Amino acid sequence: MKSMKKVTAFGLSSLLALSLAACSGENTEKSSGTNDDGGKKEEITLDFWTFGATGYEELAKEYEKENPNIKIKVKSSETADHHDALFTSLSAGSGAPDIAMLEIDQFDRFKVAQDRFENLYDLGAKDVKDQYLDWKWESGENADGDFLFGLPTDIGPKALYYRTDLFEQAGLPTDPAEVAALINSPKAFEEAGLKIKEKTGMPFVDSIEMAYRAYLDAAKTAYLTPKNELNLGENSEVKKAYDYAVHLNELGIVGKYEMWSPEWANAVNKGEFAAELGAGWLKGWMEGNAPDAVGKWNVATLPTEFAANWGGSYIAVPSETKHAQEAYDFIEWLVSPENQLKSFQSHGLFPSAESVYEKEEFKSNKDEFFGGQATAPVFAEAAQDIAGIGYKGEKYFPIHNEILNALKNVQNEGADPEKEWKAAVKRTEELMKR
Amino acid sequence: MNSISKKEPIFRRKKFRSEAKKDMISGYLYIAPFFIIFTLIGLYPALFSIYLAFQKWNGLSPMKFNGLANFQLVLSDPLFWKSVYNTIIMGIMGTAPQLIVGLILAYLLNMTFLKFKGYFRVTIFMPYLTSMVAVALIFSVLFSNHESSLANYVLTHFLGMDPIAWAASEWGTKIAISIMVFWRWVGYNTIIYLAGIQSIPNDLYEAATVDGANKFQQLLFITIPMMKPFIILTVFTSTVGSMQLFSEPTVFLGADAFTRDEAMTIVMYLYRDAFKLQSFGTASATAIILLVIITIFAVINIRLTQGFGRKKRGVKE
Repeated sequence: MKSMKKVTAFGLSSLLALSLAACSGENTEKSSGTNDDGGKKEEITLDFWTFGATGYEELAKEYEKENPNIKIKVKSSETADHHDALFTSLSAGSGAPDIAMLEIDQFDRFKVAQDRFENLYDLGAKDVKDQYLDWKWESGENADGDFLFGLPTDIGPKALYYRTDLFEQAGLPTDPAEVAALINSPKAFEEAGLKIKEKTGMPFVDSIEMAYRAYLDAAKTAYLTPKNELNLGENSEVKKAYDYAVHLNELGIVGKYEMWSPEWANAVNKGEFAAELGAGWLKGWMEGNAPDAVGKWNVATLPTEFAANWGGSYIAVPSETKHAQEAYDFIEWLVSPENQLKSFQSHGLFPSAESVYEKEEFKSNKDEFFGGQATAPVFAEAAQDIAGIGYKGEKYFPIHNEILNALKNVQNEGADPEKEWKAAVKRTEELMKR
Repeated sequence: MNSISKKEPIFRRKKFRSEAKKDMISGYLYIAPFFIIFTLIGLYPALFSIYLAFQKWNGLSPMKFNGLANFQLVLSDPLFWKSVYNTIIMGIMGTAPQLIVGLILAYLLNMTFLKFKGYFRVTIFMPYLTSMVAVALIFSVLFSNHESSLANYVLTHFLGMDPIAWAASEWGTKIAISIMVFWRWVGYNTIIYLAGIQSIPNDLYEAATVDGANKFQQLLFITIPMMKPFIILTVFTSTVGSMQLFSEPTVFLGADAFTRDEAMTIVMYLYRDAFKLQSFGTASATAIILLVIITIFAVINIRLTQGFGRKKRGVKE
């Protein structure tokens, strides 16, 4: 009898616990949507999760003014936190926002869950397709091309950032057009590096990762095929990128800096290496963090073999939303060419809408940091050189890190490149079983 | 209580029982918050992770039953065994000295001639109260790979040794992290020991003094045997804690934490599977394997400490 009572009491308390959980679930649902199917235009609140500095808060306010029945709550967090929180809420099936920004490198992690997103093609995205760069748009689709996850925001076309003082010392041209004409192939890239090393003693590229990414970022098929199979054969594009990095390292023109480390930041500031293969957004970082380097860096286009995209985002609508159409209307407005120009001017988000590149305000945007060079057209040209973004797959970064570890061992410990390559491939095979 | 109430007249029994029931309900209500929170935050995830260990799941797609494949994958992964090895090595280097030094410190802190006792006790306990992240960040600056980091400066200028890549070499990382764990936890164990020492009745020492035992003999034959329950407690918690080492190495290594294997612990391996490789099945399988490992260590621990207590008692008697 006694134990029976205990059991029922315990059951009761756990029941209470469960009902409590159910209760909180209901609550969040209610607070995220205030849909009462009223007669006229009801008040709609849209949750919008972003990351980094986008300036979308101001644009959202502008949109609210034009559409008084819409309220947009922008929540901005740090990149990793943002994606983890979004992943968790999508996985749990509750708590996701109405609109979410997705970084291109994290995108494939979410693409496996097509059922948790709205197909933007159903909401009218077909009509705006022509405004954007094809390669950027296609990466926002699923493999079959009939489902659109997100509308394109910014992109990260890579270009050659170079120190004019070091180039001058080495007897190389310093004018961006001349530099681009001189360094027009991987071979020429290498030769310029040798000259820098000979005359100045400084490394050409900052790190082995950048040397490796020269070919890697431009690869059509990187680590994985669209069927999610490893693609690391002897003739693969990844192996080519690996061999090129090893080769540059053997020539002694690769520095030992690690991007974002304090030592690296110092080297950017003081000019302790001559070139960086950076995307458009690196400019913003330099302006803020390399005060001594004002006027010392310039930007030129890379050889077409190296033309690639690094970074950029999309905006998607998770299907938990009750206001998919309203959410879509807002993001269509938000990434329209006019607003992309505004985001570019205020926060340096490089536009993915081609028509912006023709605008006078865009072309004449001179950068004090780069000694008055108008860098935007250089990046615009780079953006149009890009053939496509290769399929990345959800395990892109773990695999990337394994190969990178191999390269670092080659550079730092003088390990045998072939042996390291084989060991790294073995480790990636282990990863893929997960 | 029920048995007493049976002897009471019916009408009174009824009343009495309802009173008892009220008591019971209020009693359960009082303890309910713990059980509710425990069920939600402790029990449910624990049971769910057992379920997950047999599934293949990336967090978003539907789960797929996977049998024992997850366990097989983890157990045949050389990196897993490397992480077990790392955990045990860092556990031994970080916690074993702690227990010995903690005991000595506690003994010293309890000395009658020691001045400023309060001050010393607080300062020794202080590292435990410091934010873990702050500690790990400061240690990662002290022990950086750079030749001019403080640790390398001491090595090269005072000891005449070569600088060590503290965050990227097999033993450098382990030593740096062990020192950090030691520094942070030694005060905690010291305070537990100090409480233990103070619970030993003074007359034992007085009797020993009369018998002519010196301070060291007193420590060895009175303090340590009498402290057995406290020693078992600290050994137990330290072992379990060191098996779950995670935040210290993760913050210490920063961006490299999940890409290098020198200091990867079992929990880091688990975390990497779940949140870097989107493989929640193998991560849960690792968690269960970790549970088994901890149980084995706990049993060994209890066996060892029991034996050790008995031997000491035998000497004393």
